Amino acid sequence: MSIKKFISDVKEFLELDTLKKSSKKKSIKALLRNLESRKETISKKLEKKPSKSLKEELSIIQLQIAKGEKLLEKLNQESKTKKEKK
Amino acid sequence: MLKKIFLPTIFAVLAYGFWISPDFKEIAAGVAIFLFGMVSLEEGFKAFSGGLLEKLLKRSTDKLYKSIGFGIITTTFMQSSSLVSVLTISFLGAGLIGLAQGIGIIFGANIGTTTGAWLVAGLGLKVKISAYAMPMLVFGVILIFQKAKSLRGIGYILAGLGFLFLGIHYMKEGFEAFKSTIDLSAFAVEGFKGLFIFTGIGIFATVVMQSSHATLVLIITALAAGQITYENALALAIGANVGTTITAILGSLSSNIDGKRLAAAHLIFNVVTGLIAIIFIQQLMYAVDNISLMVGIANDDYTLKLAIFHTIFNFIGVLVMIPFIGKIVSFLENKFGQEESKEELHDSVKYLNDSVLELPATALAAIKRETEHLYDNAFEIIAHGLNIKRSNILSSRDLDHVITDLYSQKAIDMDQFYQYKIKGIYGEILDFSTHAQSKMPPEYIDELYKIKLSNRDIVEAIKDTKHLQKNLIKYTISSNEHIKAQYDGIKKGLAELLRTIHTVRNMERYDEIVTLITKIKIHTEQYDIIANGTLDEMIRNNLITNEMASSLMNDSAYAYNISTKLIEMAEILFIKGDDVTKSLNEELFINDEELEVLLKEVKDEK
Repeated sequence: MSIKKFISDVKEFLELDTLKKSSKKKSIKALLRNLESRKETISKKLEKKPSKSLKEELSIIQLQIAKGEKLLEKLNQESKTKKEKK
Repeated sequence: MLKKIFLPTIFAVLAYGFWISPDFKEIAAGVAIFLFGMVSLEEGFKAFSGGLLEKLLKRSTDKLYKSIGFGIITTTFMQSSSLVSVLTISFLGAGLIGLAQGIGIIFGANIGTTTGAWLVAGLGLKVKISAYAMPMLVFGVILIFQKAKSLRGIGYILAGLGFLFLGIHYMKEGFEAFKSTIDLSAFAVEGFKGLFIFTGIGIFATVVMQSSHATLVLIITALAAGQITYENALALAIGANVGTTITAILGSLSSNIDGKRLAAAHLIFNVVTGLIAIIFIQQLMYAVDNISLMVGIANDDYTLKLAIFHTIFNFIGVLVMIPFIGKIVSFLENKFGQEESKEELHDSVKYLNDSVLELPATALAAIKRETEHLYDNAFEIIAHGLNIKRSNILSSRDLDHVITDLYSQKAIDMDQFYQYKIKGIYGEILDFSTHAQSKMPPEYIDELYKIKLSNRDIVEAIKDTKHLQKNLIKYTISSNEHIKAQYDGIKKGLAELLRTIHTVRNMERYDEIVTLITKIKIHTEQYDIIANGTLDEMIRNNLITNEMASSLMNDSAYAYNISTKLIEMAEILFIKGDDVTKSLNEELFINDEELEVLLKEVKDEK
């Protein structure tokens, strides 16, 4: 057995790839939580007093959330496909 | 001069020794093999130091007890306080740790190094360790020829240990035979005088071999062979402890000012500890006897007693010196601080020196920090070039006021600033990067390339500011309010950019950084005065002259370039967050298409 094969077998046995993916998901979830809380704070501020700068920030945050959710969905889909293959 | 005659003298002495005594040849060969083992061990550990290094260092050295613990553990594993101190100097040189943490690690290394005496005294002389050396060497060398970096690392460690054991074996054999021909105890003198003589011999031996471990092994084997007395051995061990600082001193010669301060701290610590041990030698010997009795070490087992002595006096040294760490730091900062303050005008590199080339991770960290240093200078030049005070940009003052509070009544000489504060550093960074790159594994090259790009961005931003400067000063005091408003807008936009980058630099949260960077990207688009119709409108309504129009068009392009270059630089240098999130940068960052959509949204809202 070559060393490369041995290492890939060990990685598979320890499910290291899945671990990497789940930590990616964890990071994105944490990021989304932060973004959602900022979105809420800014929305509340805007309700009280309209501000051009805050509106701009809100648009950016909404876009960031959309991107994060899309990426999370993609990762979930990848894990699901992998499980189904097994 | 001394350097030139040092090596030939050593060679001559050794050659003479080999000629007159085959036993001396065996001992010297043992020392040489031992030292070669240490070099090999060092190579092995280098293979395992990677990107995690910076994080690990930060976490494990943020408090004094942690940095001492770090020094103890790493030295125990690596079995070389010299190696740990040289690596610490390179960490310090790269700005990965501060001087106080560095001193903590050195203190820990002094305790960690005592485990070596235990290993040799407890194991080395009782077990036939050469029997273990051979298989280790064979397995080690086979692994060294493997392609995988980790396997090669293990190979070097195994071979290193094998050579260490083999070296000890030869030293032992040599001393056994040497016993009958020469008696070192003939040099012994009673009292403190004798102690100082043997301490001096210990220092000399360690300076020559550059390893206190090798000296200790020599002492223990000589002691076991009855070549020296127990008291002589203690003095030699004290000398070895002082002599070991030579490696750090040599390592610091190629390091920056902090490296030199650390080497000085190491020397101060070991000399003070040595003096304490010499003054209280009787009390220490009494303590060693009592401890030996308590743990069941035979009264005539001097090798183990030496190990106890070595441990006790290093522990006492650390305990005595801990309260003075703050004072040592301020003393060294005062003592070694002058050289930097002399060159206020002519700035030079702070973090790049040969000591950080030891590891790819420290080299990369040093280059990154030096680039940040370059940006600090660029920030000053750009702000002053725009005739804005730096302190105003860094404050929370309203930007309309910031741009009217002028830095100077006349334009600053940006060329002179560039020559003094940028050119030299930029050149050094490029030169150093080329050297570092040749020693870096592929996974670092990509990161290094990005940092080099950010250097180029910084320099180009300065050059664009220089082009912009003349008209900016001319038109911000123009009587034509329309052109004045446009140039005030450019000035304000760039002041906002510098302020935002400063904020981003001090931010920790990834999501907030991305929002801010996206925001300044949107604001940068205001400089596209052709696309947004500003220029057409002004020309059509005869608000500005043709000359003003062409200047405005060119200068808007310069302002746009300054912004995009500095944003690119900030994205490379100042983005924080965990490694996983950073690895997703491309997917999480707002791309050009999305930026267009956002811009449209912002415009519609206007």
